Amino acid sequence: MVSAIIETSGLTRNYGDICALKPIDLIVPEGEWLSVMGHSGSGKSTLMNLVGGLDRPSNGSLRVGGEDLLALSEDGLARFRREFVGIIFQQHHLVPYLTAVENVMLAQYFHSVPDEAEARSALERVGLGHRLKNRPGELSGGEQQRVCIARAIINSPKLLLGDEPTGNLDHKSTVMVMELLKELRAEERFTVIMVTHNQEVAAWGDRTIYLDDGVLVREERMKS
Amino acid sequence: MVAVKLIPHILSWAGIVLVLLRGFPGRRSVVTLTSISGFVIGVTGTFILFRSYPGTIPFGIVKSALGVSFLFLWGISVAVIYRSTGRGVSIFRGERLVNTSLCAGVVACLASMVAGAVCACRLPATDSTALTFILLALAAGALAYTLAYAALAFDKLLSPSYTVTLTGMLVAVVALLLCSSSSVLRLDLFSPLSMKVMKGVHDFVHQFMESILIPDHLFVRSYVWNYIGLLFGKEVGFWGGMVIWFTPAFLIALAIRFERLPSVAHIRQGAQRRTLLAAAIAKRRYRLVIPVLSVAVFAAAAYQSRFPSVEYWDPKPLPVTASPAGEIFIPKKGEIDLEDGKLHKYLFKQGGREARFFVLMTPEGRLTVDLDACAICKPDGYGQAEGSVICYYCKTLIPLDTVGKPGGCNPVPVAFTEKSDGVVIDGMALINSWGSTVQATARVKEGGK
Amino acid sequence: MHRRRWLLQLVLRALAHRKGRTVLLLAVLAMASSLATALGIVSYSMEKQVAGEVRKYGANLIIIPQSARLDVGSGGLNFGVITEPAYLQQREVEDTLARSGLKAERSFHLRGALHWKDADLMVDGVNFTDIRRLFPWWQLKGNWPATGETVVGSDLATRLKLKPGDTMELVGKAQTVRLRISGIVSSGGEEDGLLFLALPELQQALGLDGQLTLVRLMVTAGDESLKKRADALQLLLPSAKVNEVRQTARTSEGLLAKVKLLMFMVTAVVLVSAGSSVAGTMSTTVLERGKEIGLMKAMGGTRWEVMLIFCGEAAMLGFLGGLAGYLFGSAIAQFITRTVFSASAEFIPWFAGISLGVSLFLALLGSVGPMISVFKLDPVRSLRGE
Repeated sequence: MVSAIIETSGLTRNYGDICALKPIDLIVPEGEWLSVMGHSGSGKSTLMNLVGGLDRPSNGSLRVGGEDLLALSEDGLARFRREFVGIIFQQHHLVPYLTAVENVMLAQYFHSVPDEAEARSALERVGLGHRLKNRPGELSGGEQQRVCIARAIINSPKLLLGDEPTGNLDHKSTVMVMELLKELRAEERFTVIMVTHNQEVAAWGDRTIYLDDGVLVREERMKS
Repeated sequence: MVAVKLIPHILSWAGIVLVLLRGFPGRRSVVTLTSISGFVIGVTGTFILFRSYPGTIPFGIVKSALGVSFLFLWGISVAVIYRSTGRGVSIFRGERLVNTSLCAGVVACLASMVAGAVCACRLPATDSTALTFILLALAAGALAYTLAYAALAFDKLLSPSYTVTLTGMLVAVVALLLCSSSSVLRLDLFSPLSMKVMKGVHDFVHQFMESILIPDHLFVRSYVWNYIGLLFGKEVGFWGGMVIWFTPAFLIALAIRFERLPSVAHIRQGAQRRTLLAAAIAKRRYRLVIPVLSVAVFAAAAYQSRFPSVEYWDPKPLPVTASPAGEIFIPKKGEIDLEDGKLHKYLFKQGGREARFFVLMTPEGRLTVDLDACAICKPDGYGQAEGSVICYYCKTLIPLDTVGKPGGCNPVPVAFTEKSDGVVIDGMALINSWGSTVQATARVKEGGK
Repeated sequence: MHRRRWLLQLVLRALAHRKGRTVLLLAVLAMASSLATALGIVSYSMEKQVAGEVRKYGANLIIIPQSARLDVGSGGLNFGVITEPAYLQQREVEDTLARSGLKAERSFHLRGALHWKDADLMVDGVNFTDIRRLFPWWQLKGNWPATGETVVGSDLATRLKLKPGDTMELVGKAQTVRLRISGIVSSGGEEDGLLFLALPELQQALGLDGQLTLVRLMVTAGDESLKKRADALQLLLPSAKVNEVRQTARTSEGLLAKVKLLMFMVTAVVLVSAGSSVAGTMSTTVLERGKEIGLMKAMGGTRWEVMLIFCGEAAMLGFLGGLAGYLFGSAIAQFITRTVFSASAEFIPWFAGISLGVSLFLALLGSVGPMISVFKLDPVRSLRGE
């Protein structure tokens, strides 16, 4: 029996009067690749932010990696994020004035101490050994996303969150990024939660959940 | 009043106990008990010492204890910085013993004894009866008990991550002791230190100049003299003293700063490796806190010594004039009672020249007339403290009994005749004596110009 | 391994990325701190100079015999107008000064003529130790004289082709003295045409024991009390005239005060406007970089750590602005002192501390508001682009 890395019960998030997430009970076992699907505004990003410790739930309980996120202070949440979570964004969110290596080192800096050699090898691992000193503006979308992946995994997180990581990429790059993620997951054994509205991308996961208007409507297990 | 004066000393002792508790974690009870007993022994022992040997002997003993602790710190700091360069050096054979209860107890006891002795130096002189002695011992014990347990409680509140290295503990203890003692004029180490440095440099330069047969000042160009003069200035003593004063604390802080971080190369996972490294760096930074604070405490001690808060009896010099025969007469009685045992300053002016002098009745009942200047220092004058006069320039205390005898930093005696109703001084001799004294000292101090 | 160095690199990268804005902020900070520096340097060095000038014309009181006439404006004695020599009694003056309790540096002078070859030389009998104290700006080639020696004013020396080591025989009314010249003195004033002799020697040579022609006093007192001092002294010395020497330095003092006031006001205005423009620019920067801040927080930076980065940027700007401000401010100070006071300002290294302080203070003060918003910024919203 694999232990659960995420356990929620009655997890709710309201923005004022709007209820972005209706009470959700979700258990994610360690090492699972979970795809979250739904239309925009269905609450899938909200769920991801809650699980990643970026946002606080309005109600319910939320345990990630044995840590009760509701009990953590603001700085405690930050510590949780840097030690436990890696995030890949749709718009990459790379710091424009830093080179690829430096963007990775920034994550190291917030985690503990920067280590350039390690950051280089992480970029080499995602196949960007030749673009270490390039700024994000000089990289293609796929390359930028690979920098993001290197940055997300540099601190060996237990949980990798993807917020439509392939939303801005063409088909070829998408496949490349997903292959890479699969490879890395095999080595590092982190849990993946990926928000997407692309059925094809969702199919890379072990399980897909469908959200509609803040409600978990359906769950589907992939055969592999 | 006495109680108020004692507060800083007692607080620094409490600080010492706190640092010791931190420095010997896990030996709390030993440290607390030995500290309390050491403090009581220090207070009562010094009290007895004062009653058995009046005068300056007890001060000398306490001062040497302080001096020895400072020298010990110097030795340790040099050894530690040498070791931090990676060379193995065994400081002493029983180094294994350092972390035992025995060592903790001995260090705590010794430090507290000195702290207690410093406190006792502040106690007023009272008649020594068995009762006062017992009362004193009880009061010291009760005070020590309360404060030591306050320190203990505070120590338990502090997070265990604020560790103190042994060297850091040592430097903090010595710093607090010196800070506590620097406010007692007779125990102060910094002023004598800077004075010694000044004299040492002065003598050295003098010998050096003579040995290489550089002719007299006049032949040396004046700008050369400006540089040589720097070596003669008061600043040399001050800065030299500062260097000696602060070096041990700095060396110990540096040694901690240069401590090797643990080797993490064997850990494969980068994040884990970096976490360990960051933790080690943070730990090292915590260990630096105490030595850096000690530097501040050392600075406070030097400041206290340089600007002592003690107030001196220092009357404004009264102008006097000479009779047509050139004699100055100062009546014994009248507005001023010359024989009241206090310093009486006068100012004599003649022909654009002036001389400052004072008349004083020594405790032996001998009247003495002296210049308000000594043969070696800049004529900053003297003030009177309890049982002594102090030279404002070099902060040397001169016991009242020896005022009137020439030499060293004693005020330069002036010939006078004592009559039944007053003293008579020859004005011209006074002026000349002042002139030659001041000229001699000013020349040295201002670089021979 | 080197968090601090990394932070520095990060800050420099961020500043270099927004060159225009960085340059603008630097210019504002540099301008503000350079004005403050210039104000400081001008008033400091000019005050020192004016004080020096006051000291130079330092003998602010002079005592002359009742019948002598004095050209006050030049601060000295013009011998051409003295028709009838009159003298002060040295003893009397000394006693009076002692009695008056006046705190003053003094210098006694006896002027007279001694015959040399076929000319009369104007000789000033002085006490050389007093001279050295009272007129520190006199420049001496050679040595101050011992007994039997003299120093010669530079003009006189050139005219008579005298040099140190020469011996001259001077004939006085009472005695003839043989003197060795020990040095040449120049003061830039009338002293350059005089011969100086120890007072007692001249008194003997002229047969005027205990007589003086002039006493110069330097009284340390404020402006208004000087007059009072002079009056008080005059009462004690009815046989002489006590005059206040008009101080040429006063005009520059007044000018200095006006320039200082002007610069102070300009600096105040500039500081306020610089502060607000720093605040404005910083808050736009922070607004623009919301996503970056959100990202840093999402990556696990605590609010304090992220704020530290932005504070680091502000501090770096402040530091660089302060450095530039110091250099620029020194130049401005030079320019002002050159053009307004026709003097040169000093190079004062420790004013760098002041310019750095002003600039850092402005940069950090202006960033307080933006920093609060950095601190409070919610990562989720900012990443979404709200």
